[in-house]
Amino acid sequence: MLAQDGGLHARDVHVAFGGLKALKGVDLKLRQGEVLGLIGPNGAGKTTMVNVLTGFQAATTGDVTLDGRSLKGLGPRNVARAGVARSFQAARLFRDLTVRQNLEVAAIGSGRKRKEARAKADALLDWIGCADKAAMLAGSLPYGDERRVGIARALALSPKFVLLDEPASGMNDQECDELMLLIAGIPDKFACGVLLIEHNMQVVMGACRRVHVLDNGKSLAEGTPAEMRANDEVRRAYLGSKNTGSQVI
Amino acid sequence: MVLRLLKQAWPVLGLLLPLAVIVLLADQFGSISVERSVTEALIKIVTVVGLYIFIGNSGVVSFGHVSFMAIAAYATAWQTCCSALKPITMSGLPDFLRSHTYPVLPAGISAAILASIAAFVFGLILMRLSGIAASISTLAALFILNVVYSNWDKVTMGTASIVGLPTYVTPWLAFAVAGLAMVIAYLFQISSWGLALRATREDEVAARASGISVYWMRLAAFTLSGLVMGMAGVLHAHFLGTISVDTFFLSLTFITLTMLVVGGMRSLSGAVLGVVVISFVTDILRRMESGVSVSGQEIAIPAGSQEVVLAVVMLLVLIFRRDGLTKGREFAWPFARRQSISETKHGDA
Repeated sequence: MLAQDGGLHARDVHVAFGGLKALKGVDLKLRQGEVLGLIGPNGAGKTTMVNVLTGFQAATTGDVTLDGRSLKGLGPRNVARAGVARSFQAARLFRDLTVRQNLEVAAIGSGRKRKEARAKADALLDWIGCADKAAMLAGSLPYGDERRVGIARALALSPKFVLLDEPASGMNDQECDELMLLIAGIPDKFACGVLLIEHNMQVVMGACRRVHVLDNGKSLAEGTPAEMRANDEVRRAYLGSKNTGSQVI
Repeated sequence: MVLRLLKQAWPVLGLLLPLAVIVLLADQFGSISVERSVTEALIKIVTVVGLYIFIGNSGVVSFGHVSFMAIAAYATAWQTCCSALKPITMSGLPDFLRSHTYPVLPAGISAAILASIAAFVFGLILMRLSGIAASISTLAALFILNVVYSNWDKVTMGTASIVGLPTYVTPWLAFAVAGLAMVIAYLFQISSWGLALRATREDEVAARASGISVYWMRLAAFTLSGLVMGMAGVLHAHFLGTISVDTFFLSLTFITLTMLVVGGMRSLSGAVLGVVVISFVTDILRRMESGVSVSGQEIAIPAGSQEVVLAVVMLLVLIFRRDGLTKGREFAWPFARRQSISETKHGDA
């Protein structure tokens, strides 16, 4: 039983803010070594789900387990240390620290010594192609770099799973393509599962082999990108009509 | 190798060297009153560096820090002061204080440590709050300690002054302690805890998501800054030879905060520069208020000009240079070929 329960697993998660039900029963399983896409229309509950998975939001009912161990009651800090890291929609870098220090902080947060933290930071900066910007203040980075540094900071925790909240928003097509390759490479390079929340379907289809669709706070469907593209329900949820879906998905 | 060390220590050395020159000049050529002004400024540096350790790195403004000065000042007074009068005027002291007098060095050290213990205990509660609520509660702490010390007659002599403390503080001693305070502040700032704390200052949510405990990092800084405030309190007490609880209250709180804001509260250089600039301005004004003779004529500016000018300086800085005179940067290594400013920031060299 336990052996089957590896990975980051959310079971029947409900979240209610007063009378508003943001999540009404989400089952989601993220496995080691995969990139799972989490898509859905605005207001479907994607970001709330990320908050639940990372300890920022307590589930009203339901449970989240990491490799069989419940994450209930752990705050964001302890969830991060347990191995579930996240990036933010608005990168939320430490603006008045240097780029390298941004990553160092996360590496220190995961319990590394200073020297190791610095080495980890430099390796990650190499990987995202920002090694030359290591000494710049994070607040002065251009938009695209900011996003990549945000991802690298999450990975600096050496997590088992990393949750990326709309990393491509506001990027141009070329930046999106580069980002897609970067994200697709995470599982092999860092032995880490990825949950990718994204509006940009080009990125989702390119980076994920499996996609989970949320609609109105519920799990609607899960499967390969091609299956989702062909799924009538998914189209309807996304567009409110079944006729024009193919343009977007 | 030597050069590298020198470069790493520059943010502290670059501050200490000019200060040393000032102290040397004051010691050699200055009048007694100049010497006293310089010593006072050096004690203020210890105070403001103490504030900076917490406020600068955490971004949480504290109004309660001078309480820790008071705690240390009283603690050292109990140990070193007036052995003949103590049993009568401070009859509530425990016996080991009432009927014994201790050497000044262990007394000073233990007083500073007591201040940091007090900071730790207060911090356990205060650091649970964040943002403006934390600041307001530190102000409450200031008032609580002031009320307690003002009314604890048998131990603190209430609002009366304790006089007759040994006055051993020379400009060079004050300089040495100021140097020690700066070294402590700098080492903390470049340590991994200091880095983590500055990350919480920039973005609390992202810091938590990066595995940082906001509470413990702030508490560590609060405790350490309590220690440095304690050092300032001890110096203050043994410089003037007299203490009273109301010296450690609102006016000291706000003058030291002004110094920190004017200099730039995000860097050690800012803390020190703020003290130097404000001390210089107030000293000049104070001398002018009490009258200077210009070609035989006695000229004095109206009393109270000092406060008005300080307020104007503060406003100008807030309007035109919100990050303070140093803009939150450390002094850069002067001999490097053009280097980006950020390279030397917070000792990330």
